[in-house]
Parts: sequence; structure tokens; C-alpha cells
Amino acid sequence: MRNGGDNRGRLLLISLIVTSLFLITLDLRGVQVLGGLRNGSQTVLSPLQSVAANVFRPVGNFFSDVTHLGRTRGEIEKLKANNEKLRQALINRKNADAELSQLKSVLDLAGTAKYKVVNAKVISLGSTSSFTQTISIDAGTNNGIRQNMTVITGLGLVGVVKMSYPNSALIQLATDPAFRVGARVAGSQQIGILSGQGTGKGVLQLLDNRTTLKVGDVILARGSQHNRPFVPGVPIGEVTSVDNAAGAITQTADVKFYVNFSSLSIVAVVVGAPQSDPRDALVPKAPVPTPVPTVTIYAKPSESPTP
Amino acid sequence: MFARRFLISFPIFAVIFVIQETIVSQFRLFGSGFSLFLIFTLLWSALGTPELGALTGFGAGLLMDLSQSSSGPVGQWTLIMILAGFSISYLGYGDDNFRGNPISLVVIVAIAVPITRLVYLILGLMFGGELGSTLQIFISLIASGLWTVAVVPLLMPFVTRIHSGLFQDLSRG
Repeated sequence: MRNGGDNRGRLLLISLIVTSLFLITLDLRGVQVLGGLRNGSQTVLSPLQSVAANVFRPVGNFFSDVTHLGRTRGEIEKLKANNEKLRQALINRKNADAELSQLKSVLDLAGTAKYKVVNAKVISLGSTSSFTQTISIDAGTNNGIRQNMTVITGLGLVGVVKMSYPNSALIQLATDPAFRVGARVAGSQQIGILSGQGTGKGVLQLLDNRTTLKVGDVILARGSQHNRPFVPGVPIGEVTSVDNAAGAITQTADVKFYVNFSSLSIVAVVVGAPQSDPRDALVPKAPVPTPVPTVTIYAKPSESPTP
Repeated sequence: MFARRFLISFPIFAVIFVIQETIVSQFRLFGSGFSLFLIFTLLWSALGTPELGALTGFGAGLLMDLSQSSSGPVGQWTLIMILAGFSISYLGYGDDNFRGNPISLVVIVAIAVPITRLVYLILGLMFGGELGSTLQIFISLIASGLWTVAVVPLLMPFVTRIHSGLFQDLSRG
């Protein structure tokens, strides 16, 4: 009886494994039914995600603030002074203001480059069980969003539309390990390939071994054929360190992304590219140091005392 | 009888899956946070027989494959969760001291979660996925284990109660 039970168990296990391998084979061969199931599940979940984003995002922002306590200590001190009701209202207001600010900056960037964009709200921050870096937004094919469109914020490149559903879309972030974008250095026009690393930095590999990079160089998207997946000129980040390994064929560098991927709430999908390449028009302006007033004191030597 | 009770548990998994996809995914926590659904599934599997563990893993893996944020082919999570569900239930099968001890359940699920994610990563690499920063992966795996240690004690009363309500009569019979 025990052996019979074991055999049944083994048979069940083998059947389930074979079924899963069959599913993997079907999916890798591009059978549409399985993709349709994923689309269906997303169509059902996206309205729920929108509601949850509205309800829980202030709470999520609160946790984010706690994580970055050093940076937001001043704000937290201010909030402590208010009562519970006022604090809740402030968090909600803060959330709305941050979204408005992000929306303004993304429209500024899109306006400068003459991109035609569709703005969208982030409704989900991606998988916590796999190692991919994705977000979901509340706009999809009904809003003109298609696969392989560039996604930006006011600070620069966010990623690319990986999948689009009727009312939502899945965005592959630039930090995703599988992300690749053709890039060029603003000014010198050297070209290379920038890849995500799963962190806030990407790695840029130059294509020409005669060119050199330096810390502080601004990296822009080079643009793709027919502007998909990438429109040209979008700021990506800034070189923070250069690898000058003697044995390397071409130079590589760490690039810090301009976009803060942990606080995305409003993004824009570029649905129409400009007629002409904006070149370096979108390079962020270098911060201007605040002039410090100088005070000149003229000292007169006192008259020497007469004996 | 067994199949009927297994099917009854499906709505519970569906609810946890929806909570994972809609609420838990809103929070950006340390080390990329935790997967409530993965923890729930492994805890549920750890309480049952190996056959039930494999079946639970199959159903849960299918749901995880349907998640829009799942990067691999449909079936990748299914395959891994079948093996994870079977293995975790096989480890404590027949040992009531193990099953009855909450600490051993916490420890085994906390170990199983990072291992499951690591196997998913390795299988993903075999399917042509990208590795990215190894340090980030290491941090993420360690953090998922730590988050699991924090979450399992909160889930355990709920899971054990429902699981015993559904399956205890069956195991006695």
C-alpha cells in the first residue's frame, strides 16, 4: 500500500513536471494562448492595481521616506509637529504635489524635444520574487501605447514599454539587467551601449577603442531606427567612474542614472518622435553655484601714540 | 475527496495572489521586499503531503506565471514551484515534531524562499536571461530570507488554521 502510494506520488510529480515543461515549450515557441492568458490576468488586475495605488501609495511613500531617513529628516521633523489628521492630509498633499512636479518636469522635457507623449501614473512596482526591474502604468493600447516605446520622466530615460495591455502597460526599467540602450556622450558624440545592472547605475561600453570617457560626461540615448524602442536625445545619466583596465578592448564606465527609480509616480510614454534629432538640447543644465556675498573691510592703521 | 479539497483551497490562493499583485507590489522595501504569495505557498506546502505540495506548487506556479511582471516563459515558475512544493513538504513528511514546531516551519520556509528564487534565477539564465549585479542579487536573496522570517509568524496562525480545517480530516482518514 505504501509502495502503491509512493508510486502514485512519483507519477503525479512526473506528470506535473512534464506539464510545466510542455507549457515552457509552448511559450518559447510563441503559442498565443499563453500570452493571451497573461494579457487576460493583467486586464483583470489593472483596475485593482489602480485603486490600490491610490490607497496605498501614500503609505508606500511613507515607508520610502523612512528608508531614506537621512534625506528626509527635515520633512519628518515638520510632520511630527502636526496632529494625526493633519499629518495624513499632508502626506496625501505631498503625494499629489510630487506627482504634479513630476508631471510638469516631464512635460518640460517633452516640450523641449518636441516629443508627443502620453502621461501615465505608476500603479505597480513590479515583481518581488523575480530579479527583473519593472513597473506597471495605468495607460495602455487604448491610449496609443504600444510595445517598444520610450518611457521618460522630467529627469530622463526611465525604460521601455515591454508589454502593452488595453488599460495598462509593463515598463522594463533602465536598471533591469536585461536592458540595453544605444547611447552617446553629449558633446563628443562618442557612441556605446549602456546596460542595466539591477542597481541605480548602468555600465556604458564604448564601441570605439580610440575614444575616451571622463567623469561627469553626460550620456544621452542615441535613438533607434524609426524611433523605436528609443527616441534620440533623452538624457540617461552621468559618468561617475571610468574603468581604464589595461587589457580591455574598449573603455567602460559606470553611469549614474538621472532618474530616481525608487520614487517614480508619473511617467510619460513617447508616442510620437520629433521630426529632427534634438541633439544635445536636453542635456541637463549644470547647477549654478549660489553667489556668496563678500564683505571687504578696510583697516586703517591707528595713529602711533606720541610719547 | 482529495481533489475536491485541493480545489477548495484555490480561491484562497487567488485572493493572496491578488493581494500580492495589487497591494504588496506598491511598496518598495529593503532588498526588493518580499513575495507574500511565495511565502504563503511554501508555508502551505510545508504543512501537507508531498503530493499535495507538488499540486499546490503547480497551481501557485501557474498563477505566478500569469503575473504580468513575470519575466520568464509561462511554465518557468510552475516548474520551480512544483519542485519547491514537493521538496519542502517531503522534508517534514511524517515527522509531527517538525510540523508541530513553529520555529522549524519559520526556518525551513525562510531557507526555501531564497533557494526557490535562486533556482528561478539560474533557470532564467539557462533561458537566456541576464544576471545583472551579483551584489544586488545577493542582497535581494538575503533580504528575502529575512523578510520571510518576519512575515511567516504573522501568516502562520491563519495558514495552519485553514490548512488543518481543510485537510486534517483527510489525513486522519
